[in-house]
Amino acid sequence: MTRQIVRFTLNGTPREFAVAANDLLLNVIREQEKLTGTKYGCGIGECGACTVHVDGRPVLSCLKLAVEAEGCEVVTIEGLAKGRELDPLQKSFLDNNAVQCGYCTPGMIMIGRTLLDENPNPTEEEVRTHMRGQLCRCTGYASIAKAVMGAGKCESREFRLPSE
Amino acid sequence: MLSTELKSVGDGSWRKDGLAKVTGSEKYAPDVSVDRMWHGRVLRSPHAHAKIVSVDTSAAEALGAVCLTYDDVPKMRYNERIVSTPPCLYRDRTVVADKARHVGEAVLAVAAPTEELAERALRAIKVEYAPMQVITTMEQALKDGADPIHDTVHLDGKDVPIRNNVAVQRTIDVGDVEKGFAEAELVFERTFRTSRIYHAQMEPKTVTCRPEIDGGITVWCSTQSIHNTRILLGQIYGLPLNKVNVVKVALGGAFGSSIQMNSVTPICVGLALKAGRPVKIASTREEDMHDHVRYPSQITLKLGVRKDGTLVAGEMRAEIDIGAHNIQAYPFLGGLGGFWASLYKLPNMKYLGRAIYSNKTPSCAMQGFGAPQAHFAVECLMDEIAHHLGLDPVEYKLRHYVGLGGTFWGQGPASKCIIRSDGVPELLHTGAEKIGWEKRPKPGSQTGRMRRGIGMARGFHTSGVGHAKASGAEMIDYSGAIVKLNEDGTIDLIQSLMDHGGGTNHAIAKIVADEIGVPGHMVGISPCDTRTSLYDVTTHATRGVYAGGAAALKAAKSVKAQILHWAARVLDVLPESLVIEPDQELGQGVVYCPNLAERRMTVGDVARYLHINSLGTISAAESMRQVNCPPAYVSYFVEVEVDTETGQIHTRRAALGSDCGTVVNPALASGQLVGGLSKGQGYALIEDNHWDPVTGELASKGFWVDGKTPSMTESPLADDIMTHFAHTHEPTGPFGAKGLGEAAKNPAIAAFANAVHNALGIRFYEVPITPEKVLAALAVQDAQARDTSPSREPAAPAPVAE
Amino acid sequence: MYMNTNTRILAPEFAFARPASLAEAFALMKEHGPGARLLAGGTDLLVQMKMERLRPELVISLSGVKELAGITDGDGLTIGAATTIWEISKSPEVGARVAALREACNAFSTVSIMFMGTLGGNLCNASPAADSAPALLVHDASVVIRSVRSERRVPLAEFFTGPGRTVLKPGEIVTAVTIPAPTAGTGSAFRKISRVVADISQVCAAVSLVREGGRVTACRIALGSVAPTPVRVARAEAALVGANGTAEAFAAAAEIVAADIRPISDVRASESYRRHVARTIVRDALQTAWQRAGEGVSK
Repeated sequence: MTRQIVRFTLNGTPREFAVAANDLLLNVIREQEKLTGTKYGCGIGECGACTVHVDGRPVLSCLKLAVEAEGCEVVTIEGLAKGRELDPLQKSFLDNNAVQCGYCTPGMIMIGRTLLDENPNPTEEEVRTHMRGQLCRCTGYASIAKAVMGAGKCESREFRLPSE
Repeated sequence: MLSTELKSVGDGSWRKDGLAKVTGSEKYAPDVSVDRMWHGRVLRSPHAHAKIVSVDTSAAEALGAVCLTYDDVPKMRYNERIVSTPPCLYRDRTVVADKARHVGEAVLAVAAPTEELAERALRAIKVEYAPMQVITTMEQALKDGADPIHDTVHLDGKDVPIRNNVAVQRTIDVGDVEKGFAEAELVFERTFRTSRIYHAQMEPKTVTCRPEIDGGITVWCSTQSIHNTRILLGQIYGLPLNKVNVVKVALGGAFGSSIQMNSVTPICVGLALKAGRPVKIASTREEDMHDHVRYPSQITLKLGVRKDGTLVAGEMRAEIDIGAHNIQAYPFLGGLGGFWASLYKLPNMKYLGRAIYSNKTPSCAMQGFGAPQAHFAVECLMDEIAHHLGLDPVEYKLRHYVGLGGTFWGQGPASKCIIRSDGVPELLHTGAEKIGWEKRPKPGSQTGRMRRGIGMARGFHTSGVGHAKASGAEMIDYSGAIVKLNEDGTIDLIQSLMDHGGGTNHAIAKIVADEIGVPGHMVGISPCDTRTSLYDVTTHATRGVYAGGAAALKAAKSVKAQILHWAARVLDVLPESLVIEPDQELGQGVVYCPNLAERRMTVGDVARYLHINSLGTISAAESMRQVNCPPAYVSYFVEVEVDTETGQIHTRRAALGSDCGTVVNPALASGQLVGGLSKGQGYALIEDNHWDPVTGELASKGFWVDGKTPSMTESPLADDIMTHFAHTHEPTGPFGAKGLGEAAKNPAIAAFANAVHNALGIRFYEVPITPEKVLAALAVQDAQARDTSPSREPAAPAPVAE
Repeated sequence: MYMNTNTRILAPEFAFARPASLAEAFALMKEHGPGARLLAGGTDLLVQMKMERLRPELVISLSGVKELAGITDGDGLTIGAATTIWEISKSPEVGARVAALREACNAFSTVSIMFMGTLGGNLCNASPAADSAPALLVHDASVVIRSVRSERRVPLAEFFTGPGRTVLKPGEIVTAVTIPAPTAGTGSAFRKISRVVADISQVCAAVSLVREGGRVTACRIALGSVAPTPVRVARAEAALVGANGTAEAFAAAAEIVAADIRPISDVRASESYRRHVARTIVRDALQTAWQRAGEGVSK
């Protein structure tokens, strides 16, 4: 298939990629850019493991053509922390032991982030509703719900890694 | 039990792999890529049972692809789960199939420079099949004249004929069952069924193989055992193990599905060797759903009791549909019988378990490995007996369970031990209080639309499969660990034991830190591979902390002794007078003499001293095998709410209790329990798989849209899941710890079934308890209440004989 | 027959175009005929392509056609076909006048799908289970269909012709959905039952009714997942018109629905289960709609 150039901002940096029409955003991120934090879980939008932000909105990158990201701002899990400063939600996941095998974790954090951006102090019902499309097989979800609820109560977005 | 002696064991610092996981930098098998890598794709049989008549790969090769067919692969048959010792290895697998035995079975594979090209090459290949009889039920399989799915199985050096598609059968006899039943005053018999559910681990099985210039291979794959994968690949491809390197990568969940070497792994190696370049095979979700499922069960359980409820005799007959391959049916059957024997005191028992082939996705271990199935039958029937006798199920079970001083069968008759720690009474009483057990309704007494009920079940899982015998074991069970002191006083822990999410490696690092006397952050978990680590059999049977941790502890003890030896030299005291304790301010371990306070130095000082003076590296490489397999007890109290108009069952509250001895990491342990509840809920209420009886095709087609599992919205609210731990100390475990992992799920389906009974007054003997089944059962109950249906089975079953 | 699909990639190859205007889109459609498919959010199209049920030669993305998105409030509501389900669920106008549609949007399987999916996409995909359709049906919605030369309006009740099929002719694009302003005293509601919450429905139902004092003066009941297309149940509607809005009346109407629908058994539910739970959700929806009608403006 013929390739065309698609240009979008990826984690704050303008990038361009040569893609075929049938290239998925997920695979451009993972295979061309080697950002493997975003996962393939099912390919059909059932599990949420491939969630990224496109122009601030949650998108299932396994169902998005790369060419459709033209001109957009794409953020992946790798783009949340600023250097060694974790996003409060990332810290909250660690504080609340919401990570076991970790495969679902990037998707959970990415979708959780979109809820908190709109609603910094969600109720548990709001968290459950917003995250219903993310599958986890390890944690049973309670710690993840607490992590999302807890992150909103953090005052600042700036966190340093604690010296252990 | 949280001991005041412990410093870092029991605290709640971030898990060591947590940072990598929340930032997306942790690498799992699907994230691996190597230079010049090609992509592989597997051609999978569309037929459930068919001879492969001919294969034409020319069109694929014309596209530049490399193909691997049955002609190309070694012809040896192997069993992919070499946890079992050779006399117990039922070998019916080849790298790709000589005959298609289930829809989705690997027939051949291709590799090409890109995934897209590999896809095109795959679709260009022509395969001619001669379809055979499709066998999807045990009845069909067992019938005389049924097409044999396997003609023979290779066992202990011989090709053993398979008759009537019975893959293997096991019996266990204890005491005198006939005499026992003759003495019984009441006899209860029921048949229970559990389903062939999918593991639904988030990571689809993936493998990358790079052929090395010396003829060896480097492999990154989804696995619960890098060493067993290495041994098998070495055997299959005739490679010396020092040229086979399997690299440890993070595992995105497994729940038993990668104890065996996964089917894509040897295929990928074959492709890479043939192509002479690295190849990666990344399973799609739909392939993965066709590749492995849980062992189902059909268990007929007969229990004879005295009028006071004492068990006098029991008979269990288990029929297990294992699908197209015998991955580990022999140990499964043994484990199932053994778990039954270990639940309650049963002086006379007879067990017959049969594993039967069918043309369906092969079954393999899944969290519990026969224990959930055994718990379902036993905990439900015991609940029924208690109700019949007018006894509180909790008190009834406490009176008759196998506890301290009793014999526990770790995983079948070959690994037994005497129980040395027992927190069951505490677990049950605490759980009962937390859930409000005394306030539960009378079964069948409610009439409203929404009906709540509380059910309980207790049980255990084993902590590894260690036992005392020096030879003749059925399973291999040992672990190794290397601990070394770095030149700045930090410590490397090199252990091939896989962590599939439970935090095992982190817990073991804490055990090492605490043994030596350094703060937790001073122990790092090293990346490793099979060439730089000691053998570990696999992470299964909840042996990670109990057995793997014990090996690391042994190495840590040696390292500590060496530190003390050298520190004594520097400080001019006797080594016996020194202790090492973590100093949080210094951030290091401090070696000091309590009697002579000024004689002190940090562990870092010791390391630097050794380094500057060229005295060598302090290290220890130890293997360890546990000689016990203590039960990790668990209790489940679950409250459900049934919507009698829609049949939907909601999980409202749960009180989950674990007796894992010393709780090495309370937050992670709690997380295991909550995770177990979620999977247990799915197993009990939602998950199932169906194969078309004519075509043998998986009804879901492998698409996750039709393989639903619980999400956050199906779960109870976070604070409605309560966890508690018993205060016990296991004398044979590292720092008094036992296992937890699989125990977290084992009693779940029984607890849910008992809860539904409490809510509705209806017993379900089959899972999943779906809304449709609930409505059908309510209709029957309704009809009986109106006395319009005399021919149906009674809703409140009575014992079969008095 | 089993086919080893590959959902990791989009295996079918196709050409891609992203017109900047409707005119360009029409031109592309004319050039390529039935081999072209329109792409809005992609949550149905890409899934069907990955499952190898659809193999278009040309995918025409509508993401560049700006005039297709947005909700305007005039004499009734006009919702651009490319408006996302999320945006509709958050619209105060929709919440105020078409409560059933807001509820239906919130019942879409997942939040990400709500952000990506569009109303036009949901309707043109024409699944019998389309969550948005029953709510639109009970509010007498119409679709605005444009071709290069003309524009026509088709009542949604006439739009679907079968599973995955609509009255759209080659060269036509749905550009908007119009919903007439509801009569005073209207209340509506939507309910859905599924295996798990984030799922395609086993049955879904929307109702709207007009309440005058204690009487129902108009009623619409529509269901999804019980027929080849989303359907209304006329006999149940008729039974309620003129009746008092009582629990008994709603239950009786729900009985008629259960009797009149002809669902099938499939992987998600059996025919009898669908019939059974349709009764429950229709009754519950009627109760809620009645309450909302009494409160004036639906919340």
